[in-house]
Amino acid sequence: MCVFQSTINYFPEEVLEHVFDFLSSHRDRNAVSLVCKSWCRVERFSREKVFVGNCYAVSPERLLSTFPRVRSLTLKGKPHFADFNLVPPDWGGYLHPWIDAMVKARANLEELRLKRMVLSDDTLDLLAHSFPSFKSLVLVSCEGFTTDGLAAIAANCRSLRELDLQENEVEDRRGQWLSCFPDSCTSLVSLNFACLKGEVNLAALERLVARCPNLRSLRLNHAVPLDALQRILAQAPHLVDLGTGSFVHDPDSETYHKLKNAIQNCTSIRSLSGFLEVASRCLPSIYPLCSSLTSLNLSYAPGIYSNELVNLIRHCKKLERLWILDTIGDKGLGVVASTCKELQELRVFPFDPHGVGYTAVTEEGLVAVSAGCPKLNSILYFCQQMTNAALITVAKNCPNFIRFRLCTLNPTVPDAVTQLPLDEGFGAIVQSCKGLKRLSVSGLLTDQVFLYIGMYAEQLEMLSIAFAGESDKGMLYVLNGCKKLKKLEIRDSPFGDVALLADMGKYETMRSLWMSSCEVTLEACKKLAMKIPRLNVEIINENEQMEASTDDKQKVEKMYLYRTLVGPRKDAPAFVWTL
Amino acid sequence: MIVLNSSDGATFEVEESVAVQSQTIKHMIEDNCADTSIPLPNVNGVTLARVLEYIKKHAEAKDDEEGLKSFDAEFVKVDQASLFEIILAANYLDIKGLLDLTCQTVADQIKDLTVEEVRAIFNIMNDFTPEEEAKLRNDHAWAFE
Repeated sequence: MCVFQSTINYFPEEVLEHVFDFLSSHRDRNAVSLVCKSWCRVERFSREKVFVGNCYAVSPERLLSTFPRVRSLTLKGKPHFADFNLVPPDWGGYLHPWIDAMVKARANLEELRLKRMVLSDDTLDLLAHSFPSFKSLVLVSCEGFTTDGLAAIAANCRSLRELDLQENEVEDRRGQWLSCFPDSCTSLVSLNFACLKGEVNLAALERLVARCPNLRSLRLNHAVPLDALQRILAQAPHLVDLGTGSFVHDPDSETYHKLKNAIQNCTSIRSLSGFLEVASRCLPSIYPLCSSLTSLNLSYAPGIYSNELVNLIRHCKKLERLWILDTIGDKGLGVVASTCKELQELRVFPFDPHGVGYTAVTEEGLVAVSAGCPKLNSILYFCQQMTNAALITVAKNCPNFIRFRLCTLNPTVPDAVTQLPLDEGFGAIVQSCKGLKRLSVSGLLTDQVFLYIGMYAEQLEMLSIAFAGESDKGMLYVLNGCKKLKKLEIRDSPFGDVALLADMGKYETMRSLWMSSCEVTLEACKKLAMKIPRLNVEIINENEQMEASTDDKQKVEKMYLYRTLVGPRKDAPAFVWTL
Repeated sequence: MIVLNSSDGATFEVEESVAVQSQTIKHMIEDNCADTSIPLPNVNGVTLARVLEYIKKHAEAKDDEEGLKSFDAEFVKVDQASLFEIILAANYLDIKGLLDLTCQTVADQIKDLTVEEVRAIFNIMNDFTPEEEAKLRNDHAWAFE
């Protein structure tokens, strides 16, 4: 019997490799490596970009033996709830072992993207000295380093193209890290230091910008005043992405006049952010940019008042991404709805999460945007109140949501009109949005909402739950129903041992589970750890007496479990107990 | 004019300035191996004709970006077997643009497919044992996703 074998089986390896070159997603590369043995081998030895979603699921050595040609590494460390201060400092997520292993293996590291990792100046120094082709460093929500570490990168990475610091905790050492870029450094394409708190050497910054003709993305910190911005823009009219520092000046001055001219020459700017300090009378200078903007982030600009925000947004007809503060108000969101017809992603952050008695945004703003922006697919919405009716309308208007995160400022607030739980509203969202991958629920919620989520959220990969549900049934609906669930994080909800232990094998299909201030006992955690040995079940207990105590019935304050190929980690601090 | 002979005996005439888009042919000409005609035993007539169509178009319409884009899009609308023959020819003849275009096309067909779907579409036999496959799937999913 003759079995037809496709010609692709006879492709020389370099041709197969060339096809794989055009597959950028790690999911696609993982798929092709499973097709057959020869594809697996070719893929392994040609993969340059590697994604590691949990730094403790695999070891650096294992990474290097699997993908010896790795050049670009993405690493994620702490769990997401670390952003809400639920993970104690020194929990882990250290970069050093990875750099160390790469140095020993003589890997040709060119790009490093880190999220919620801890790295020291020594590690940055080692990195800077070990990889001559190093091009790109992107740090998001990282900590442990100072501006001295940045100085080492600046001084030694001869091919540096990108230094992107987003929301990191960086100690300022009052050094001159920006001055450490040598005169020979002309390769910068992207420089973002908006999160740095300290002063920068403005002259060094201006000279750096002047000698980097390929600079396309520049985000300044608050210490860069408007007159420096004007001089910088005059040198860099080809910028595509700009984050201003301080935007305060006398609008009648010559400097301001020069700034207006410089801005008018910047015809390529599509993305704008910053305004960390702002004088509203200076805002009209950026109006010429607005009509071409596709991305606008004013979430760090509390100095822009609602009516000015609205005036600005009226000019932004091409906006695809908008991040703002809730000072915009429902009326302002109405203007967004009528102006920004291309809008895909909206994030509304709370100006003052603990403020008393001031109106943030309500369900009205959300409904308006859902009605006016047909391409909306991603939302993060901090609001004062919500109703089921509004959520049902939003679900009808926007069936294409991929990410839907709602955060009521009072976590258990009921429907503002009916005083009922918000189960039906979220139920409508999951039923309508068949492609929903990420969901955060809030407000008063019973087990019913989880029944809906389990039933309808077939593509859901990440779910965040806080102060919700009534019994184990809630969590069980989710675990049984959401087949594609990868990350589940729960806090302050009445889910306990029955839910945790009902389907222990499920956790091997997920990246991680976080449960804090729930009803789970130590006994159940121990059972789970014993039954499924390839999970690391970590008990985080700042009260160190937990290990010594023999009471297994006590409730566990914080539990974080994740599947791993490499067993319990060796760098866990004293307050983390791996069962 | 250069004469090219396919593996199955067909002959094609093409201008030298067009033919040198193939690095392989270019080197043969430079090394004086192109006296009467250039034999291409690795490329059959049908495929060679298609390849010549590509390089001729890319020579004449060199500056017409839009035109070339739509030509390329139409060019790759062929059956799988033909596409693979063109890839092998582009590789042998070392024509970068054509190789990139055709490999990208195959990659686009692979995007977002499951493993089983990839095997089916390209008729590839799975030579992993079930245990090997399960372990590999696991390792990749746990570590690299």
